[in-house]
Amino acid sequence: MTRIFGRYGFAIAILVVLLIANLVMNPARFAPGNWGTLLGLAAPLIGAALASTPVILAGRGGIDISVGPVMGLVSAVVIKVLYLDAGLASPFILWPAALLVGAAIGAFNGFMATVVRVQPIVATLGTYLILGGLTLTILPAPIGPAPDWLKAMAGAWSFLPLGIIAALWWALCRTPFHGQLMAVGSDDRAAYTAGVPVTLTRFLAYVLTGVLAGAAGMMLTALIGSADPKVGANYTLIAIAAVALGGVSLAGGRGGLLGAAIGAVDIFLLQSLLTAFNVSTYVLQVAYGTILVAAVVLIALQDRSAKRSHA
Amino acid sequence: MPDLSMRIRDLTLRPGAAAVSTQISGGEIVGLAGLDGHGQDVFLRSLAGLERNQAAVDLQGNSIASFRDAEKNAVVYVPRDRRSTGIFPGLSILDNFAIATPGRDRRGLLISAKARRARYEDWKERLQIKAPSPDAPITALSGGNQQKVLLARALARDPKVLLLNDPTRGVDVATRLVLYDLFRDLAAQGMALVILSSEIEEILVLCNRVLVFRDHALAAEISGAAMRTDTVIAAMFGRQA
Repeated sequence: MTRIFGRYGFAIAILVVLLIANLVMNPARFAPGNWGTLLGLAAPLIGAALASTPVILAGRGGIDISVGPVMGLVSAVVIKVLYLDAGLASPFILWPAALLVGAAIGAFNGFMATVVRVQPIVATLGTYLILGGLTLTILPAPIGPAPDWLKAMAGAWSFLPLGIIAALWWALCRTPFHGQLMAVGSDDRAAYTAGVPVTLTRFLAYVLTGVLAGAAGMMLTALIGSADPKVGANYTLIAIAAVALGGVSLAGGRGGLLGAAIGAVDIFLLQSLLTAFNVSTYVLQVAYGTILVAAVVLIALQDRSAKRSHA
Repeated sequence: MPDLSMRIRDLTLRPGAAAVSTQISGGEIVGLAGLDGHGQDVFLRSLAGLERNQAAVDLQGNSIASFRDAEKNAVVYVPRDRRSTGIFPGLSILDNFAIATPGRDRRGLLISAKARRARYEDWKERLQIKAPSPDAPITALSGGNQQKVLLARALARDPKVLLLNDPTRGVDVATRLVLYDLFRDLAAQGMALVILSSEIEEILVLCNRVLVFRDHALAAEISGAAMRTDTVIAAMFGRQA
């Protein structure tokens, strides 16, 4: 418990402050009856932040900036190709399809970054551009609607996808993969000499990121109730900000999905607080940037003092 | 079960250097000596499959050509540079110990934290690791205790051949004695140990046989009563004793 708080302390402190401020400023919006809708509003950002985390944990510059465009593509494929054109409406077809699209893109990114060994940021930038164009080719303009069950996932049922992800992550933390992921992120040479399959572990981290990005794409589709080719890409950078805010080390090997989720909720609460003040979106961006820089500096200071106390 | 033997046939450590051939058997502790950079390090890493070894190394007939082969055949290497290739500074003592053998703690599909802790406690007792709680970061330990955790990690893989690259570097005297006893125990149980050491006294105390390297070739192979400080040093400097 103390360990969790130590790592995420700063993000949790911001969370508490922002939550109280929001409750005071905007009691109607934050009434318990609205929590489902609120979570639905925050879900795409939380999902994008969760998706960005595994590759960052895997270390050595691991990052996936194609998370946002994957969300856009998943949205376009699910709504335009499968639901409207092919007439498939069952969640048991659309969800697996979304996750599969994500996994395939994740596998491609993973192949480029771990087997071909292109720098992750360059490899996923390529994917970012390809997917952006591909999405616009499939879907030049926004189209709707989404199936009703999917729209409900932005309302009363919004906890369901996130809850499932949380449960699966909890289980994953109790498999060898999690330890190996953290070891690879912490020091890949030491991991190799300890017999950890370094390349495979990193590759799987990319696939996991892809799958989670697919899920985030479904949450986005649920929220906007349609498919919009242009919205997804916006999530890329703000998701990485959320991850950093949530105490996940961008150097790899430290942190987890819980931190990323808390970071994302922080950003969402900040957004909703400033909107309640009627602040312009430009100022909103300034606020994001400021809080991110402050958080990263504080986490770095905390790490440094922790290191000193052990040395 | 046939006796364990690792054979090295015509291994060249550097282009142009004379080839090395020898055999290492179970129950034996073999020392590697030489001035720094004279090939003993390359030799040890070749046994672990970490250097190109021209398929010159085999264990019971199974070729050890790559690190993966070494892993399959239970040849375990403990690196020299603890800080950069040994410990994971960000992880706990327990995770540092278990990282090479995560599957052992599985109960059903998932890892049981209890089983892992029990396994660690066994090794902790056996190696006399002095550590606060298993959840403390590994960097909270002294160098000697970090080394013991690394050894526990390696031994948890049940090695047949244990390759140790300067295992007592930066380790205090009391810990050294514990490690020496442990190495002798392991050899008595049939494990083959190859120990590279920068201290001749250590090799003399511990090993049955010493391979002395000079210019990336085997300068001398000394065992029994001939194994003395002066003979080893003479071989290291390429002189007749």
